[in-house]
Amino acid sequence: MTVLTLKSQLQAPLEAGVIVPDRFAGNSVAAVAGMPVTYGNEAACLGDFFKVAGAGSTEIVLEGDLGRVKNIAAGMTRGKITVHGDAGMHLGSEMRGGVINVYGNVGDWAGSEMKGGKIHIHGNAGHGLGGAYRGSRRGMNRGMIIVEGNAGNEAGAVMRRGLIVVAGNAGDFAGAFMIAGTLMVFGKLGIRAGAGLLRGTLVTFNQPELLPTFCYDCSYSPSFLKLILRDLRLQGLSISEEYITGCYRRYSGDFNRLGKGEILVYDQR
Amino acid sequence: MQVDHVVCAFCGCVCDDISVTVEGDRITKAKNACVLGKSWFLSHGTPSDLPVARIEGKPVSLDRGIEEAARCLANARYPLIYGLSSTSCEAQRKAVALAEVLGGCIDCCTSVCHGPSGMALQGVGEPTCTLGEVKNRADLIIYWGSNPAESHPRHMARYAVTPKGMFVPDGRKGRTVVLIDVRRTPSARAADIFLQIKPGKDFEVLWALQALANGQKPDEISIENTGLTYEQLTGLADRMMHCKFGVIFVGQGLTQTRGKHFNTSAVFLLVRALNRHVKFALIPMRGHGNVTGIDNVLAWQTGYPFGVNFSLGYPRFNPGEYTVVDLLSRGEADAALVVAADPISSLPGKAARRLAEIPLVSLDTHDSETTRSARIAFTTSTAGIHAEGTVYRMDNIPIHLRKVMDSSYPSDEEVLDRLLAGVKELKAC
Amino acid sequence: MLKIVNGAVYDPANNIDGEVRDVCIDDGKVVDSVEGGRTIDASGMIVMPGGVDMHAHIAGPKVNTARKMRPEDHRLDPVPRTSLTRSGVGKSVPSTFATGYRYAAMGYTTAFDAAVPPIAARHAHEEFSDIPVVDKGFFVLMGNNEYIMQQIAAGERGRMRDYVAWLLQATKGYAIKMVNPGGVEMWKSLGNTHTLDEEVVGFGVTPRGIIRSLAEAGMELHLPHPVHIHCNELGVAGNWETTLETMKTLDGVRGHLAHVQFHSYGGDPGGMFVSRVPELAEYVNTHPNLTVDVGQILFGDTTSMTGDGPLAHMLHQVTGRKWVNVDVENECGCGIVPIEYKDKSHMHTTQWAVGLEWYLMVNDPWRIALSTDHPNGASFVSYPQVIRLLMDREFRREAIKKVNPKAVAKTALPDLDREYSLFEIAIITRAAPARILGLKHKGHLGIGADADVTIYDKCDDAEKMFSVPRYVIKEGEVLVEDGSIRRETFGKTLYVAPVYDTAVEKDIREYFRKYYTIEFENYPVQLEHYLPRPREVATTGDS
Repeated sequence: MTVLTLKSQLQAPLEAGVIVPDRFAGNSVAAVAGMPVTYGNEAACLGDFFKVAGAGSTEIVLEGDLGRVKNIAAGMTRGKITVHGDAGMHLGSEMRGGVINVYGNVGDWAGSEMKGGKIHIHGNAGHGLGGAYRGSRRGMNRGMIIVEGNAGNEAGAVMRRGLIVVAGNAGDFAGAFMIAGTLMVFGKLGIRAGAGLLRGTLVTFNQPELLPTFCYDCSYSPSFLKLILRDLRLQGLSISEEYITGCYRRYSGDFNRLGKGEILVYDQR
Repeated sequence: MQVDHVVCAFCGCVCDDISVTVEGDRITKAKNACVLGKSWFLSHGTPSDLPVARIEGKPVSLDRGIEEAARCLANARYPLIYGLSSTSCEAQRKAVALAEVLGGCIDCCTSVCHGPSGMALQGVGEPTCTLGEVKNRADLIIYWGSNPAESHPRHMARYAVTPKGMFVPDGRKGRTVVLIDVRRTPSARAADIFLQIKPGKDFEVLWALQALANGQKPDEISIENTGLTYEQLTGLADRMMHCKFGVIFVGQGLTQTRGKHFNTSAVFLLVRALNRHVKFALIPMRGHGNVTGIDNVLAWQTGYPFGVNFSLGYPRFNPGEYTVVDLLSRGEADAALVVAADPISSLPGKAARRLAEIPLVSLDTHDSETTRSARIAFTTSTAGIHAEGTVYRMDNIPIHLRKVMDSSYPSDEEVLDRLLAGVKELKAC
Repeated sequence: MLKIVNGAVYDPANNIDGEVRDVCIDDGKVVDSVEGGRTIDASGMIVMPGGVDMHAHIAGPKVNTARKMRPEDHRLDPVPRTSLTRSGVGKSVPSTFATGYRYAAMGYTTAFDAAVPPIAARHAHEEFSDIPVVDKGFFVLMGNNEYIMQQIAAGERGRMRDYVAWLLQATKGYAIKMVNPGGVEMWKSLGNTHTLDEEVVGFGVTPRGIIRSLAEAGMELHLPHPVHIHCNELGVAGNWETTLETMKTLDGVRGHLAHVQFHSYGGDPGGMFVSRVPELAEYVNTHPNLTVDVGQILFGDTTSMTGDGPLAHMLHQVTGRKWVNVDVENECGCGIVPIEYKDKSHMHTTQWAVGLEWYLMVNDPWRIALSTDHPNGASFVSYPQVIRLLMDREFRREAIKKVNPKAVAKTALPDLDREYSLFEIAIITRAAPARILGLKHKGHLGIGADADVTIYDKCDDAEKMFSVPRYVIKEGEVLVEDGSIRRETFGKTLYVAPVYDTAVEKDIREYFRKYYTIEFENYPVQLEHYLPRPREVATTGDS
């Protein structure tokens, strides 16, 4: 296990895409400390900012307020990263495998364009969670993200595959232009959820304001949802039994596109 | 002395038919210019008593100012260059070079006006045309969230509403003008139809119109709280689908309200859908005289139209990360160079406060909140009055600025070039 | 002063085929001999004139809009700054600085943009000022110019010719370009033209009339490159007949057909493409007034950008990807759509094979230029791959195995055994494009030629060899050495200034007042401001 402890408060963004198990594995403490980062506009070493304990391993623990540290675990394919504190932008962006746990809040674009693996955020997430960078055709494409707090705008935008679960509220345009995949929000959804939905599923437990291009189909108990919710219990989320056994109203849309997407709203009756 | 065919670089209309009269050391007349243009020519064509450079408000020589400003910027860890919407492309090119050498961020007023239109282009593309196409062909003109009567006073008369064109020989009589906004603005007087929608409901209306253009029937109940009746909505859609050539002028009422780039994407997608029926286009109503120019310069030099970061030695783009409000609000930018803009009086409070706290260098033709807060302030001459240069009209047409008179001040281009040299020397590169 | 010794020189224009000889350079030109200065020992190396790209999309409003549109493309290919060079981005629509460096790093020293709207000429020149190393120029879009169409319809041929000359002068452009003549005008009301003899609604002319009139005007004005044509019906099954008709319309006049690959399909409209290269190549082989460039496609993601608005709309509908359309007042239009060519696709495989068939079926390499219609078929950085496909039969056979087998079997490609020699490659990448463009000082190493020279390490893998030249010399200066840029310079802008009767300006001025939104007086590009290193190419008529 490699433990990195932030030495002092950062003033400028620290680009630290080197903090990935793939890079750390098999390196000495000195080699890890010598890995290149960019602090503001200056080239620097990881060791300039972090106390490094333990040789490079596929299990990394980060400690301190890492709110200005960008690209942690970007592109990671294996191993485990645990952050005790906040993490900056692009956490786990384009990751393909492995597990990230953050006991704090994370910045925008966490899990953007990820293609596998799991991110569990115990605090809040920023905008663009599991989303896509500007111009991209696809956002998240496989993998799983759990946020115990709230998420910002555009969660799951242009998502292609995978599962995003937000225990708190989500901002505006959740699942916008989603191609497929599942986005589940237990708190409130912001406005215009599912705008441009092609396929895929949005699940929510509070009636959202729907766009004029969605229409009500029926109420039913989707069995795939039962499976997902039971699995989420195993992941440590408390899911009330009514959600598992209850009924959901199905709205299909977005009819400005293919119209094969659905918004499932838990029916409280 | 009268100079003809002068170009007004005040707003995105970039009218190039102004006749300017110079008497002695000042401009006394600007024939053909609108009220905004006239005031631009007359105020910039009046001698100024501002020192060429000031440090902490005290006059210094240009050399001393350059030296101090270069040091200030070269010492910064996350410097920001911002503004650039009211200067020439020649100056803008120097600013990009400077940002690159500094390893900083460069952003322009686009990020707080039509950045969302740029993002819509990146998401879905853009069916558009030049203003002459509107003049020659458009029989349906829609201003959405824009108020040309006050922001672009000659837009209607010169390009979009009254002129006679090749396929619109009757001019105004051959066109239908629709104004869509959340309040009745002075532009409503010039419109045949004014549709008032509730604040924050533009996206829903646009989305429903797209559904109608796609042959779908939008949900009637969700139309109810948009401010339009279902009949008004279908009437508008019908008009759009049965014109010869329609155009939507997209204003900041769409780009800077909740939904931002999704609002503009909704316009772009609506226009795309309409092109299955009739020829339709959209044009963003760009505000400042050369805000379209800085988008173009940044795009050809870096690949990206605004909000560009060079901290890794190559350009990166991410609105929300490298854009002015975000960089300042998060307290990341630790020094700034502002060119031809007044962000301290226009940016949101937190961002403006940060800008006033950090070492700030300003270039402007006149005093503003920003120049007064700047540690080093340069007074520069005006491109289009004292210097030649290039600007891009709102429809991306490049126009050459004429020089009308001399100035004792250096141009933005000259000051930026000297700053670039100064920073290169300090950074030894 | 520079002397390149011991290299095997390939200079087809002077009939030198791999002969070991010296190339002497002084004051930016090839000279007979020099005393002193640097000597490059090119033993075991190959010496060629610098490459000339006669058809690419590298600058101007269309290219820049494509740049703005594709951040996801740029992100994959950052170009860091160095102490000598500026930063930028690459991939399908590179930034200006990267464009210049990458051409140079590949041994190309001259490049032409194939489609600039006259009203935005200033924009193209501004970008040219930021494209390092290469000499450059552009073709001016005229095939849908409303003033031109009106003059043709009115029988005012002289006035039209004067206008063409005025427009070339005003834009500081290099040649007449037609894109889907008549069709782009029709697209301004959602239409298109489908045959050469269909009337352009509202103008009383036909595409055939436009093609013939402009081709004649180009000859009469003695333009070094008379007329450059993107035929009607690009990318449509069955379009080969339109292409053949266009060729026939050029009977007795010179004309260049651009990216013919996209114009050589049989089959029913809306259906599968079938290659009709044999028929078209045969026509070209027997008609020396015609030249072509290919517009080879290669597999992968790129950006389609064209002056052909209706074509881009069709691509958008087929691919569902983002779509830009820009209609430009009185002059032209453009469309942009990202596109991915897939080797599994029947259609894309056919296009790939059609391109290669063109190279292999035109007998005279002097009348065919290598191009990918950058970035429409592929990026210009993939020219070395095209070269290897032409030079290396085995490599081509392996490539054929990877594409859609049914599609490729329907083409003649598997049966074509021709291999290009280095001499022939030097023709289609340098000597021929320079000659087709009428650039007497380029594409060869004779006395008085521009000292643009590329030196390659000899290598069996032609792709490798042509990707990384050992030295690139521009105007006599060594700019690239061992694969990296050693010095940043800026090349010249090539333009023409044909003479015309200025009486025409009165009529043009009136036309501007009625239909343009900028003043006639503000339209022409200021030479001293926008062309930092201008070079006028003479229109003397002896070409």
